[in-house]
Amino acid sequence: MMQKQLMFQSPEVKTTPPKYSTTITKYEVLLDRAKCNICGICLETCPEYLGSTPLDYEAFATPEGYLRLSNPTASCLGPSCKRCVRVCPTDALSVEINPHYLALGDSRWTADLLLSTWEQAATGKLTNDYEYRIGMSGGGFDKLRFGFELNEATLEIDDRYDDLCLDTSIVLNKRMDGRPKIEIPIPVYGADMSYGSISLNIMRARAMAAKAWNTFTSTGEGGYPDEIIPYKDHIITQVATGHFGVNAETIKRAPIIVLKYAQGAKPGLGGHLLADKVTPEVAKIREVVPYISLFSPFPFHNVYSVEDHYRHVQLMKDINPRALVSVKVSTPIDVNMVAIGSYYATANILQIDGGHGGTGAAPDIAKKNIAMPIEYAIPLVHNYLVSEGVRDEMVILASGGIRTAFDVAKIIALGADGAVIGTSELIGLSCKRCENCERGRGCPSGIATTDPILMHLVQPEWGAQRIINLYHSWKRQWHYILTQLELENIQELRPKDEIKFKHGKCNHLIHLDYKR
Amino acid sequence: MGTMFERYQIEVEETLAKIQLPPKFLIQRYNNCTNVQECAQVCIFDVHKTGENSHKLMDPINELCRGCHQCVLACPKDAISLRINPEFENIGNTYFTPDRIKTLYFEADTGRVPVSGTGYKGTFVGTGFDRIWFDFSEIVRPTRDGIHGREYISTSVDLGRTLPYLQFDNNGNLVSEVPQVIEISIPMILDAPLPSKTRKPLQLALAKAATRLNTFVMVNAKDYFDELSPYHAHLIPRIVPDEIDDYENLINISRIIELDFSNNDIIDSLKRIKETHKSVLVSTRFPYDDQSGERAVALSKQGADIIHFYMTDDVIEQTPNRIKDVIQVTHSHLVEHHLRDGVTLISGGGIAEAAHVPKSIILGADAVSVGLAYQIVLGCRVCYGDNHSINCLLQIEPPDIEWAAQRIVNLIASWRDQQLEVLGGMGIREVRRQRGELGRAMFYEDLEAKIFGEQE
Repeated sequence: MMQKQLMFQSPEVKTTPPKYSTTITKYEVLLDRAKCNICGICLETCPEYLGSTPLDYEAFATPEGYLRLSNPTASCLGPSCKRCVRVCPTDALSVEINPHYLALGDSRWTADLLLSTWEQAATGKLTNDYEYRIGMSGGGFDKLRFGFELNEATLEIDDRYDDLCLDTSIVLNKRMDGRPKIEIPIPVYGADMSYGSISLNIMRARAMAAKAWNTFTSTGEGGYPDEIIPYKDHIITQVATGHFGVNAETIKRAPIIVLKYAQGAKPGLGGHLLADKVTPEVAKIREVVPYISLFSPFPFHNVYSVEDHYRHVQLMKDINPRALVSVKVSTPIDVNMVAIGSYYATANILQIDGGHGGTGAAPDIAKKNIAMPIEYAIPLVHNYLVSEGVRDEMVILASGGIRTAFDVAKIIALGADGAVIGTSELIGLSCKRCENCERGRGCPSGIATTDPILMHLVQPEWGAQRIINLYHSWKRQWHYILTQLELENIQELRPKDEIKFKHGKCNHLIHLDYKR
Repeated sequence: MGTMFERYQIEVEETLAKIQLPPKFLIQRYNNCTNVQECAQVCIFDVHKTGENSHKLMDPINELCRGCHQCVLACPKDAISLRINPEFENIGNTYFTPDRIKTLYFEADTGRVPVSGTGYKGTFVGTGFDRIWFDFSEIVRPTRDGIHGREYISTSVDLGRTLPYLQFDNNGNLVSEVPQVIEISIPMILDAPLPSKTRKPLQLALAKAATRLNTFVMVNAKDYFDELSPYHAHLIPRIVPDEIDDYENLINISRIIELDFSNNDIIDSLKRIKETHKSVLVSTRFPYDDQSGERAVALSKQGADIIHFYMTDDVIEQTPNRIKDVIQVTHSHLVEHHLRDGVTLISGGGIAEAAHVPKSIILGADAVSVGLAYQIVLGCRVCYGDNHSINCLLQIEPPDIEWAAQRIVNLIASWRDQQLEVLGGMGIREVRRQRGELGRAMFYEDLEAKIFGEQE
């Protein structure tokens, strides 16, 4: 296995800057025009040459108001520097936290996480300018740390970690069922997102990135557009309750088939594509009438018991004898019972989708209140399968609220084999989480849109390279974590026994609230 | 011939607020702006526009901004600043947060269920009801109730008491006196409005709304006035025990009256009314305290049909986590004494969003009373009644009655639809069966202890 992993050559990082004129910086230098006498001393002292762009005479012509000193290629170092403020003879300058930095992000995806993800997608590198590991949600991942994180204030994760002989691969089939032992070189693959909820360009970008990383992405439940058939060996297809665009042909094409029973952001409610987004193209591939809201009904009306579930999995296996079957479920209180049911139903992969996952559209009441966070669900399932003695036959993938490379490592340390990544990829494509995905013209970033003009904001090649870069940086971080933990293989990070926290500690992880 | 089955349906109609909330985002262009209009190109929400007969950018329309930052990033001069509006952040309080109030306004404006994309943006866990997650286990226990069965899910609850068993004589005739119950179509009752100069029109609007919703609204007996009489079938006069003799006429025309907690003679008053007005259901209202469970048992034994426990809004704001415990304790206490169906439990306080209704019910209430939330959508600025702040719209100008009634109806209709989503996802066919179903809730404290807490 090790051999195979070493033979895999990570795709090349190419700098792929965002297509914007400016960046969002943490600090801004404001100039009070009424006080400034245009002496220019500030520009000379600034270590970042912040105001080095040609003077904006038109702006300076107005003798009052505020100007922002800026240089699109540099960013202010913040209050620790403040040289310009000190040297200014007329007190015209001030360094502030940029208001649009404060208006960006939320407690789960903080401005820092967004900016750091954009940075990694652009350069494949990590800087310590932003907090790139955790958000500010005050629980779960954001309260968990690896032991070494507490000793080291800032982590230096650079290209030294690229060439280490460490294994981050996982195998997606652990059963002795004669089906392929598919191996992916990174412990993640792309989440289910349907054509219609996202544009074709985004689907192509994700498929190209999946091919480059020799991993997978998924069509979601919305048909299998012809344009992504060239990447079919890296595309999972989903069979969900609406069966939109699902047929024997698409099932036969896929190396992995996902049976989606529920989704963490809206379990029990089914998929939801608002009428505006059902354009004629989307409607054609989904075999429905255009501009009518589409609900995937729930549940599967042929699955009301574990026996039904078994037959359902078998049906997929019969249609495609080479495919692995993944079962995607959300997290009810007895998620462990669901897991054991799927084991007996001969599923190869169990994807557990926690409540903090993303969605193209869901009632707010569902997003906020339903389903258990993934940080609880994975240990529950892992422990139960260990105690039943079947943990090593199942591949458990976590999804729903996994944002960073550190989140992936933490969820593996909590008992998952790997993770399924949705939102982070879209953030890499410059999503800003403005919550408008459900609208028709929808997405200002050209991601969750079916608008024929907006979709061109993202070109597939550009998008693919951004995702490739992001995973490159993630892989480097996993190497770093493995080095710190003195492990050689990310599969060793997964506990063999049951997860039991004592004094807030378990399997390299520390929960800050219970640490003693 | 029986009566024709009529499906319960709430008529919603777009009814915008008289004064909109301050916009969440503020956009400002610094002097660097050179009118290159990149912002107008990229904004899909029409925040940045040029004048009709000019090529110059007009002031940004903050009300339309959704905070996507696209203009900020596209501006070649870095001249745009997008900030959270401090005025927006100042509305409400720590419990009725600005975002919560914004959602309430949307619901009252449109009567629709708020739907959006991306994942939940809030903290891992909140306070009070937000320490509970619903359990939607359709995977494990599918019930064929699905989303297409929503129209057959009932949200009706009965107000009143039921007998633990029926007695028959030797000839098989019913001996037990079966108490009367009154069915309301939603598990929500509107509480009496807080004191304000515009209470009269507000009370009329509430009476209209309660009638359309087929539920009840409380009215303080001393504030009763004759224009309310057409709606008396949906009014619950609230009377202080010593004053019941003063309101004989009002009690006579009412289906339910409520005795407000004042001193110890509430039991006597309760007994007197039960004797003199056999057809009137009596509700008793008490603030939640440590004895709520015992009090509920005692009141039920004395013949109270409904017990209305409440927590005032300022107490909720100070101790938000208590509300979920007191509902649960009170409910369990009644269950332990085998009296749970001997009384209807209405819980008031802390109902600030749609999810709080099913959560209160799961914790053990039969129905909830909604207070501050409907006042907020009519312009209340959450200043707790007596000392109204200057900008309280309810204080300044009497609301247009029809407008106010429709906004209340819209809000409740949206909440009911969300309750239907919740019931559908839980596979529960009627809200009566949701009461006390703790298995459909997951508690933060339990999960945290189970996974990260101290293990044996």
